[in-house]
Amino acid sequence: MSEVHEAKDNKLKQLPDELQLATAAHVKYVQSLDTRVTEYGYWMTQHLRLNGVYWGLVALHLLGHPEALPRDETIEFVLSCQKDNGGFAPAPNHDAHMLYTVSAVQILAMVDGFDELERRGKGNGKATVGKYIADLQNRETGTFAGDEWGEEDTRFLYGALNALSLLGLLDLVDVNKAVDYVVACANFDGGYGATPGAESHAAQIWTCVGALAIAGRVDLIDKEKLARWLSERQVANGGFNGRPEKTADVCYSWFVLGSLEIIGRRHWIDGDALVEFILSAQDPEKGGISDRPGDMVDVWHTCFGIAGLSALGYPGLEAVDPRYCMPKSTIRRILGE
Amino acid sequence: MESLSDTVWDVVICGTGLQQSLLALSLSRSGKKILHIDPKEYYGGPDAALSLQEAERWQTEQASSSAASSSIFSSARIWQPSEGAGLSSSRSYSLALSPQIIHTSSTLISQLVSSRAYRQIEFLAVGSFFIFKPSPDPSSQSPPSLSRIPSTREDVFSTTAIAARAKRSLMKFLKFVLDYNSAPNSEVWQPRASEPLSAFLAEHFNLDAELQAYVLALTLSLDGRITARDGLATIHRHLTSMGVFGPGFAAIYPKWGGTSEIAQVACRAGAVGGGIYMLGTGIETVAERSGDSDELVEIQLTNGTPVKTKLLVRGDEERVADDAQEISRLVTIVASPLSSLFEVVVEGAPAPAVAVIAFPPGSVTEEDRSVSEYPVYAFAHSSSTGECPSGQSVLYFTTLATSTSEAVLQSALDALLSALRDGDEAPKCLYQLRYKQSRGLTSVKTDGNMVQLPAPSLSLAFDDSTLQSVHEAWRVTMGSASQEPETDYMIFADREPADDYDDED
Amino acid sequence: MSSHDIPRTSGFRTEEQTYQELEKIKKYRDLEDQFYSLTAANNYEYTPDLFQLTTKLLKLNPEYFTAWNVRRRLLISGLLSRSSRGSSRSTALSTSSSSGTTTHSSAALSPSRSTETPPSRESQTPGRPGQNGTTAETDKAGQDTEAKKAAAAENDANVIQSELAFIFPLLKDYPKCYWIWNYRRWILELAIEHLPAATARRIWEEELGLDSMMLTRDRRNYHAWAYRRYLVAKLESAELGGKSMVEEEFDYTTRMTRVDLSNFSAWHNRSKLIPRLLDERRASDVARRAFFDEELGRVKEGLNVGPEDQSLWFYHQFLMSNVTDYVGRATIIPNLDFKDRITYVTTELDEIEELLEDFDDVKWIYEALMEYTLSLQRLQERQLDAAEKERLAVWLGKLRELDPLRNGRWDDVAADCKL
Repeated sequence: MSEVHEAKDNKLKQLPDELQLATAAHVKYVQSLDTRVTEYGYWMTQHLRLNGVYWGLVALHLLGHPEALPRDETIEFVLSCQKDNGGFAPAPNHDAHMLYTVSAVQILAMVDGFDELERRGKGNGKATVGKYIADLQNRETGTFAGDEWGEEDTRFLYGALNALSLLGLLDLVDVNKAVDYVVACANFDGGYGATPGAESHAAQIWTCVGALAIAGRVDLIDKEKLARWLSERQVANGGFNGRPEKTADVCYSWFVLGSLEIIGRRHWIDGDALVEFILSAQDPEKGGISDRPGDMVDVWHTCFGIAGLSALGYPGLEAVDPRYCMPKSTIRRILGE
Repeated sequence: MESLSDTVWDVVICGTGLQQSLLALSLSRSGKKILHIDPKEYYGGPDAALSLQEAERWQTEQASSSAASSSIFSSARIWQPSEGAGLSSSRSYSLALSPQIIHTSSTLISQLVSSRAYRQIEFLAVGSFFIFKPSPDPSSQSPPSLSRIPSTREDVFSTTAIAARAKRSLMKFLKFVLDYNSAPNSEVWQPRASEPLSAFLAEHFNLDAELQAYVLALTLSLDGRITARDGLATIHRHLTSMGVFGPGFAAIYPKWGGTSEIAQVACRAGAVGGGIYMLGTGIETVAERSGDSDELVEIQLTNGTPVKTKLLVRGDEERVADDAQEISRLVTIVASPLSSLFEVVVEGAPAPAVAVIAFPPGSVTEEDRSVSEYPVYAFAHSSSTGECPSGQSVLYFTTLATSTSEAVLQSALDALLSALRDGDEAPKCLYQLRYKQSRGLTSVKTDGNMVQLPAPSLSLAFDDSTLQSVHEAWRVTMGSASQEPETDYMIFADREPADDYDDED
Repeated sequence: MSSHDIPRTSGFRTEEQTYQELEKIKKYRDLEDQFYSLTAANNYEYTPDLFQLTTKLLKLNPEYFTAWNVRRRLLISGLLSRSSRGSSRSTALSTSSSSGTTTHSSAALSPSRSTETPPSRESQTPGRPGQNGTTAETDKAGQDTEAKKAAAAENDANVIQSELAFIFPLLKDYPKCYWIWNYRRWILELAIEHLPAATARRIWEEELGLDSMMLTRDRRNYHAWAYRRYLVAKLESAELGGKSMVEEEFDYTTRMTRVDLSNFSAWHNRSKLIPRLLDERRASDVARRAFFDEELGRVKEGLNVGPEDQSLWFYHQFLMSNVTDYVGRATIIPNLDFKDRITYVTTELDEIEELLEDFDDVKWIYEALMEYTLSLQRLQERQLDAAEKERLAVWLGKLRELDPLRNGRWDDVAADCKL
């Protein structure tokens, strides 16, 4: 059962035509992404291909057009990116990395394709993927590396908990240690950074808060301080920045809003102003959303812009889960929550 | 190759001052036949930077030549306190005749970048602006001092010279200037646009005399009576230039003589583009013409060669009227690196090569106890400008010319050296060049196929309006082609591939 | 990661532009195809061709992380000598190696190495002496072993320097690319492993200079600040024969905030350094209090000239949390008595309120007044009195007027305070 925001519940003010969500254009835009072979940028971003599918698919699901990318081809592509070690690469000839492995799991979750992974994935399907992820945990500190070369970042920790929880394999890792690590990343301002000692950053905060939420430890967050810092991300034009004194960017709509939602403070920002900012960054004709009004659109900002709108209850959009940045209906189906 | 006389030149440019040279740069890819001459043996005309020998000859010319009475320069005099002791060879010096600092937001910089000429120029940072403070009690032994002018929020934060409440007033003003053209701020100053800036500062921002002096110093206003309109514009330029090219500086100065260096680089671009260059060659006569602009201009060069050109562009180096604005200048070589003026004050900032010292009106006292009526400004150039050998510095003093201005400059020099004393001894002066410079023509004069560019501006910071004259002369030279949409002005590709790390191909 | 700050264009391309774009794509794809075929065919043994290919690809696209990975494998398997200091941290995490080829390959000792070309053209690695003889023979002679070790160290130093030189311009052009920073860290770790301690330390020290330069270019660069903390931690460690740099780093944040008071990254780093700084100074309670007062004075000087600056207010909150929010936390002034705590808060309230005389339209002032009034009440474990409630209502009114975006938050405060 999907959960769609109904217009009648919505308090958003009436916006002019050019600031209405261009749903059809966005669907077309996402569908076109894999056909832009005459653009240099297409070839330069092969290392993001699988992420791109995830971002596009989230946008389509939230827009209410989950069928706009063919399910079979999607599963086919995801499985073609898997390496022998169980991890996923962004595209068949690349190396595996946590970032793409998480995307692969999320995509399969959205298209209900775990069975296919069990049947046709490398090794023992879900278990092999789970092992790849679990092996990247630093058993001393609890955090996770992105791949065999050892870079550590709370983005990977979050990704690991996200993917493992979807796979039902959280018990493969030391969740308590991971939680301790996230707590060690907290700063005086209530926010979190990429490692202990690092400056608070809206995107890192979402991964840390999301990880704690998946681990069921939202109680460890200094909600007042964090909400204060997060609410200050909204600037005069309605958009959010990622750190103090920076310019607003559509992607932070999601990172800030998702975090505020998890700690129950979504009402501390001005939703109407944010909706206007996101919609003014969309290309109403050709579809897609950019970082800020007037810039080139891309699928990353399209995904997080639409996710932001969904979190604000924009009419006609599917509800988004603030922990996973995936449709609530998908999470409910998988976790049975 | 055709001889000079057989060629019909598209344009003959006479003089290699900054404007004529920038014109040559702007035409360097036009395919036009250009003859560029200068009666002097060096580049730069009134913007030149001279060796000691060249300065000597320049002074003699100014003093003796019959033209001297009508030149924008006058009263040139050289003085060497100890007969040249302590000086290095003549060519170790290049003394700039009209030194100007260039704000980083100036259009000149963007034109040098878009024309790729900047690749041949080494830009140095203009660092601190100081204000001169006379000794509190002339009879006491306490020497005069210099105080750094805070011009950013961080400067205001760091300075201990201003009280907390006064800092707030100053910050309010600085914030106001950054946004002075916004509707609410315009409403505040527009009604008082022609009033003196100092009155506006006092009445609207409650700045005391000392803070007013700080703000006025930043304008480099020659008479100290700048209007609110012009003052806000120049301070806005200063503040928005700050940090553009790196932390800690708002203006730059080209190594090896400032605008003189830019003129040379521009002429080099003209030569690479096929222009013919002849120094030591001026115009003897220009033939009488009927006034028909299709007619060629016939010129007799000083070396006797007749040449024909479709257009003649000259610079103006003649005084136009006796009441034209005039300044007194004093250039002096000092036997000290004056290191305290060139300190790096913020993290990551380049070592400055130029410092600016402002002497507010009344701060310079002469022997007869009279005080200066107008501000005096000094540019201190370290040896990294290439204008003097290491261990020495060059000081350039400027003030409005009056009957006592020469004496005022001398007093300002003495006072500054006294403020800069290190231990008991004040830095020693090795050489002095003094002269007056007046403002000539202030706008382009076009008469058929004769164009006259204005005389150099007397302002101490490069004045972007200078570029409008060059652009105008370019339009005349290009004729109808200048109207075509594909004709870019001062936008060129590199002649050789840029030296970056990309080793492909 | 995405198209930040690229202006949207009409999307219309002339025939010529289309042609040029297709040519560019062809050139890039040709490189990529060669790269795939070479990586598929070999087990990451070093070959000059493959190494050059990664150079070319990464210059065109430094986000191409697989090419960085291949480059690492090539360095380990071919260009670098075996570790001279015994560890093998330069290899990958052993459990999750994707190809199983990241352990040292026998190719490292293959005689064919003497025919290799240097790693990259712009950073010509000088010839590597000592590699002309075959390894089997030289191994026998004892005195040659030392010479061989020295030659290996020189070779490794050259390789490492050449890699650092290769990355530097890429880092300048793509200062936010994760993969470049990661690779650079990995190369630096190699220096510890492969080079004499003094040489390794010098390389790491120079790196701090490079980091300062990156921070001069962009003083908020998240990567460069993270890299700085990483470099400093390593330079302080026994591994590099280091000692604490907390004083220098603290000074660095002072200088950085003097360039730009709004540099929250610098204030943040400062907040992290202070507890260590005081511990290492073995600061007495008196010294700690003096330090605290100076720091509070500094941030208030900042607020005096920039009360609209949230970085300064956050830092002010950090300092004041040492007074108000001290239970169970390491603080700057742990042994402050209760009376002094109250005095600090009331003094701050007075001084902040004084700012209103010149800045009555700055929302941060009202917010701070509100927060510290509530802190005071919590500290004293009492209810708000009527006067406080009245003042809070006024401040909240100003906040609603000056900062309506956060009205939901002001509603919550009003409800919590029962206003």
